[in-house]
Amino acid sequence: MEGISIQRAARSADLNHFALAGDARKRYILTPMPIRSPFHDRVARYCTSFAWKDWAGYYAASHFGETHLPEYWAFRESCAITDITPLFKYEVKGKDAARLLSRMTVRGFEKLPVGRVAYTCWCDANGKVIDDGTVSRLGEAHFFITAAEPTLSWMSRLSRGFEVELLDVSERTGALSLQGPTSRDVLKQCTDANLDALKFFQTTSAKLDGAGVQISRTGYSGDLGYELWCNAEDALKVWDALMTVGRDYGIEPAGIEALDMVRIEAGFIMLGVDYYSAPHVTIDARRSSPYEIGLDHCVKLDRDSFMGQEALRAEAARGAEWKLVGVEADWLELERLYESYSLPPGLAPAACRDSVPLYLDGKFVGQVTSTVWSPLLKRYICLASVKAQYAALGTKLKLEHTALYERKTVTATVVERPFFEPERKRTP
Amino acid sequence: MATTYDAIVVGAGHNGLTCAAYLAKAGRKVLVLESRDSIGGATASEEIYPGFTFSTCSYVVSLLRPQIIRDLELSKHGLEIMPLDWTFSPFEDGTSLLRGPDAEMNRRNIARFSRKDAERYPLFGQAMSELGRMMKPIIESPIPEPSKLTPSTIFEALRLGKQFKGVGEEWLAANLKMMTMSAVDFLSEWFESERLIGPMSVSGIIGTFLGIRSPGTAYVLLHHYMGEIDGAFRAWGLQKGGTGGVAMAIARSAESLGVEIKTGCRVDKVLMTGSEARGVVLVNGDEYHAKAIVSGADPHRTFLGLIGEDRLDEDFVKQIKRFKMRGSSGKVNLALDSLPEFPGLDQESPALRADITIAPNIDFLERAYDDAKYGRFSREPFMDCVIPSLTDPSVAPPGKHVMSIFVQYAPYNLKEGPADWENQREAFGDAVINTLERFSPGIKDRILHRHVLTPWDLEKTYGLTEGNIFHGELSLEQLAFMRPAAGWARYKTPIEKFWLCGSGAHPGGGIMAAPGQLCANTMLKARAV
Amino acid sequence: MSRAIIIGAGHNGLVAGLLLARAGRKVTIVEQRAVVGGLCAASEVHPGYTVPGLLHDSTGVRREIVDSLGLSRFGLAFESEAPSVLAAHSEHKGVVLHAEAKRSRDELEALHRGDGDGYIAWRGFLSRIRGFVSGVLSEKPPLMKPDSIAELWSMGKTGIGLRRLGKPDMLELMRVAPMCAADWLQESFGDSLPAAALAAPAAIGASLGPWSAGTAASLLLYESVRGAEVKGGPAALTQSLQQAFEAAGGAIALESAVARIRVEQGAVCGVELAGGEFIEAPLVVASCDPKRALLELVEPASLPLDVEEQVASIRLRGSTAKVNLALDGPISFRGREGERHARAVVSDHLDDIERAFDAAKYRACSKRPHLDVSIPSVNDASLAPDGKDVVSILAHAAPYHLEGGWNGDARERFGDAVVEMLESVAPGTRARIVAREVLSPADLEDRYGLTGGHIHHGEHALDQLLFMRPTPKLARYKTPIEGLYLGGSGSHPGGGVTCQPGALAAAAALKG
Repeated sequence: MEGISIQRAARSADLNHFALAGDARKRYILTPMPIRSPFHDRVARYCTSFAWKDWAGYYAASHFGETHLPEYWAFRESCAITDITPLFKYEVKGKDAARLLSRMTVRGFEKLPVGRVAYTCWCDANGKVIDDGTVSRLGEAHFFITAAEPTLSWMSRLSRGFEVELLDVSERTGALSLQGPTSRDVLKQCTDANLDALKFFQTTSAKLDGAGVQISRTGYSGDLGYELWCNAEDALKVWDALMTVGRDYGIEPAGIEALDMVRIEAGFIMLGVDYYSAPHVTIDARRSSPYEIGLDHCVKLDRDSFMGQEALRAEAARGAEWKLVGVEADWLELERLYESYSLPPGLAPAACRDSVPLYLDGKFVGQVTSTVWSPLLKRYICLASVKAQYAALGTKLKLEHTALYERKTVTATVVERPFFEPERKRTP
Repeated sequence: MATTYDAIVVGAGHNGLTCAAYLAKAGRKVLVLESRDSIGGATASEEIYPGFTFSTCSYVVSLLRPQIIRDLELSKHGLEIMPLDWTFSPFEDGTSLLRGPDAEMNRRNIARFSRKDAERYPLFGQAMSELGRMMKPIIESPIPEPSKLTPSTIFEALRLGKQFKGVGEEWLAANLKMMTMSAVDFLSEWFESERLIGPMSVSGIIGTFLGIRSPGTAYVLLHHYMGEIDGAFRAWGLQKGGTGGVAMAIARSAESLGVEIKTGCRVDKVLMTGSEARGVVLVNGDEYHAKAIVSGADPHRTFLGLIGEDRLDEDFVKQIKRFKMRGSSGKVNLALDSLPEFPGLDQESPALRADITIAPNIDFLERAYDDAKYGRFSREPFMDCVIPSLTDPSVAPPGKHVMSIFVQYAPYNLKEGPADWENQREAFGDAVINTLERFSPGIKDRILHRHVLTPWDLEKTYGLTEGNIFHGELSLEQLAFMRPAAGWARYKTPIEKFWLCGSGAHPGGGIMAAPGQLCANTMLKARAV
Repeated sequence: MSRAIIIGAGHNGLVAGLLLARAGRKVTIVEQRAVVGGLCAASEVHPGYTVPGLLHDSTGVRREIVDSLGLSRFGLAFESEAPSVLAAHSEHKGVVLHAEAKRSRDELEALHRGDGDGYIAWRGFLSRIRGFVSGVLSEKPPLMKPDSIAELWSMGKTGIGLRRLGKPDMLELMRVAPMCAADWLQESFGDSLPAAALAAPAAIGASLGPWSAGTAASLLLYESVRGAEVKGGPAALTQSLQQAFEAAGGAIALESAVARIRVEQGAVCGVELAGGEFIEAPLVVASCDPKRALLELVEPASLPLDVEEQVASIRLRGSTAKVNLALDGPISFRGREGERHARAVVSDHLDDIERAFDAAKYRACSKRPHLDVSIPSVNDASLAPDGKDVVSILAHAAPYHLEGGWNGDARERFGDAVVEMLESVAPGTRARIVAREVLSPADLEDRYGLTGGHIHHGEHALDQLLFMRPTPKLARYKTPIEGLYLGGSGSHPGGGVTCQPGALAAAAALKG
């Protein structure tokens, strides 16, 4: 109770508090509230909604203006810029760096070329996923890792006897995501990087208004896009340069709500929503293997031992119990359902993270974990975990849906995931 | 002889009252006799200094069983527990650590000392809650007795065992390790920073005569982690108006159920016919008779005092005498003119409303213990402070404050003998204040009144033998089926119709009230009343 | 004939090697030192003066094992009775504690009324539980959750053994086990001297003071199975083991430190020596400590993470230093002129031992160390020149993690403190010293390869005994690496010269 009221107080206090950043450090105990990213000063200027969310302890804009929809459209039609500093960021250096990451995650890194980025996940000894993130090879013996949860202790526990240096660069690195069809044009205007040569899941270092940045062609939108990493001190400079250039390309600061919509369209899972970090939950029913959350393609079983290898090998042989699938609700049925109450379909174009059960013949067969009505696709789409035998494309299930206080079901079909994947995402 | 009762409970502490209330709830006619003029025993609120209410002895409510709160409708009778879920640990270099219910805040605060520890901290809390969940049935039921392998004990053991079925060998091993490890060793497997290990380890030693490196203290750590209020695990709280309110609420509930409570009635002896208890006689000669007598006093006072050695068999007396009751802690209550200050801390900080733990590092705590081992109070003791007036302004005049300081170690058995506490009391108080001054400069000048309670005082005033706040040390050999004596862990005693319901019985001390509840239930089940 | 390698030629390594050789394996023992015997190897302190081992107590040797190995054929013999120990005192003549309690009665009664009877009762309890404890120690540790009928049977046997003690002794055992040695002993003794003398071995094993909980368990395990000394001390034991081993066709490679235990696809395939030589074998029994075996000798990341972390958290903070003295005359204890005592312990009071360990907590050496003294020349005159004594002292507490580190200065300062203590109970000793050798825990690590300088390969704390020794997952000698077994003091039933871990490890290895 106390915790909540204090956070609330902290939030309102913050309105007239922007200038106190330096002072705030001294008063840390009084202000157990979210911290500010190096972009905060700029982000806050745009965030006229004051709709802040706590993301890993940081202030993160939920949406900037009256609604999040312009931000959503920027992702799909022009260019959205999002402060993703709250991600945890680490560097692994040293002779055994690749070996450590190969031991930690479900894929090998010995052969990943320098300049390449790989998406992977890491598991506990029972093959249950702890977290997922990207690993960039910056040099022969130099990797850069992003994660949703703190991972330093885990990495260091795995590195006993390894010749590696682990650096937590989370705070000293600012991170921005630039996503959307015009993102390349914006970047081209302000960096020296050869972006035409930068392929999907490649990374390069570059100069941006004099500041060193690492640019990788990755993102959480399923669209053409880039992620930028810079020193915290250069953060404002980088932001300003991008915004200045971006004005001509429809750049729009985007918050978490819009990001959540596009990532569902792209079929991307999210920790704490579509699956839970294994050590953070107490029962196995809440833990997932990579095979159960659609990360089959990441797992490379036949190599030196890695965390969870035996369990994953066994699971690969017997087949996963659950599967992550895309599900689409039957729109006409939804319309009819609402019509029976003389209502239009009351579906806000926003992502929903509440899990909702799926049935077949009255039997529980899985649950939807992320849902959005896609304004672009005009479809009501969901990410769902279903028992493996119901995961085939075209399987028709019943999705619980509450209309006017009453729980009903509508038909929901297992469909292709991602729901949206434009060619520009990969093409040069 | 006016009235005969179904049961007489000796001692109106929280356990005695709880036992009485449960018996009355089952329709029995119960009398509670309390030697002091007020009820509550060590669960007391007293106005020692005008305008300031001290929770003289017990000061936090951590383990009061929610089922008891519901069964006895304690909220209706004035139970009001305000959460105390922050822990503030100041260090000598002026830095400090605040931990509370906000996971992100904890992570950031701990990361200032160790990022790895910050990452591990929530996992630790989760592991402990999980262990606590598994331990819950053990606390809630009378303990099976291993030496009497009867079908019913086997059944009970299985029932407890069921809790552990399905858990891996690994988990059992982890549990067993925890039972036998020291708090520091156990915590060191999780964390690297002493700023975390120090303050966290002390919950393993509170109320014990053990050091933080002594095996078995990791278990006590769990015991304290299991505090629950209103069904929420790991929650600590303060009773509005002081801890005495808890006993008062139980007393009111008991009275509403028909229990008769008489204060100022010091029981001298238990009356017996043959090997059967049949009543009690007060020091003034009054006699009361009942079908069953229940003692809420500690095992020493109960068996060596109320019953008397001569009426017990030699072996049992030996066991009771060996039951260790060495008090190890004292209390200092302060009436403050203004709020204390800690370096770098705003006065409006929630940190002041926290449980303030003075346990800066391992060596500090070890030195405190070393003093006690050789029969002196810690020159620089571990302290656990709360300022209840911040959460509950009713206990002090406006703008003034009450500070409750639990101090360890203060061994009952001083080198010069326990009676020497009369001479050392103020020196002990000075040691406490001088140590506190180092962490909260200026506190000396804020003190309006200082009230020092040594283990000697706890014995003399509150009837706690050797000043032991738990009616017997919570060490491994004095827990479960060993509490208070092997073979007598189920509230029954070698004297027929005579029962034990105090903290000296399973599952032990703290304002938990479980011994009282379990004793009553056992009596009812045995149709003893 | 399939090959087996034993790492370490100490008593446990030799026993394991001998059992495997007799079972038809082609066994090579690799030993980093130039001598056989490990902690039992004799060493010359000064020309003409020899101590028969770094460890000097052979009362724990398991008779069943050496008997079944037929070691008497190789010269092994025991003294006729369990040794008495002089509890020396700095102000009076102390008291001699005999294994046969009633012989000590009068001296104890004179010290404090009731202590004589207390001692008799205490010994009585120990002898009643001896059968049970010795059964527990000679079996592999029980499983947490029995997984087979055989396991269940063996657990049942243990349970029956416990019940057979009768209710009072059984409850007493359960009550005592988690206690601290000091509390337990003070129930029997009014004077602190005998309590201190008896508590010392427990405290030492656990690296904890006698006021620490759980030290009583350690004491139970030590005292209730004590027997007579091996004639000639621990060194004689390993000499006979060596002969028997070689007679069984085994080979010992000296000065052959292991650089790596090679593992391929989860199975051991041999050891690589520091010199580069590779010896192939599908079976390796490591009698070195578990940390050395699994964290240093095995390639990193070969073990499951939980096992690796459990091994890393094994506590082996050495707190024992060894001091050997060559005297130019016999040692003579206060008030005991003319008497000969082969064993003595030096601490006036329980609190003195506690204080000795207090110092170690703060990473300092005790200024008044506790001494566990053996004078091997009393029983075997050949170890020192005629009429002279050699003195072997295990001194506590000298922490491995000494503030400022172990250097010559710190070592000699501690040596001085030890001599000072000895002088207080045996006046005139200092003047007779012709040579002194001081080995700090750091020296022990260097010389004997003991991680942390811990002579027991892991503290004898409650959570590191029985099925938790060295860790719950490794308690059955087997490791997750196929063919690799742990057979040193780090395994159940623990340190000291017992030969039991080696024997049980060999049995486990043969069973596969």
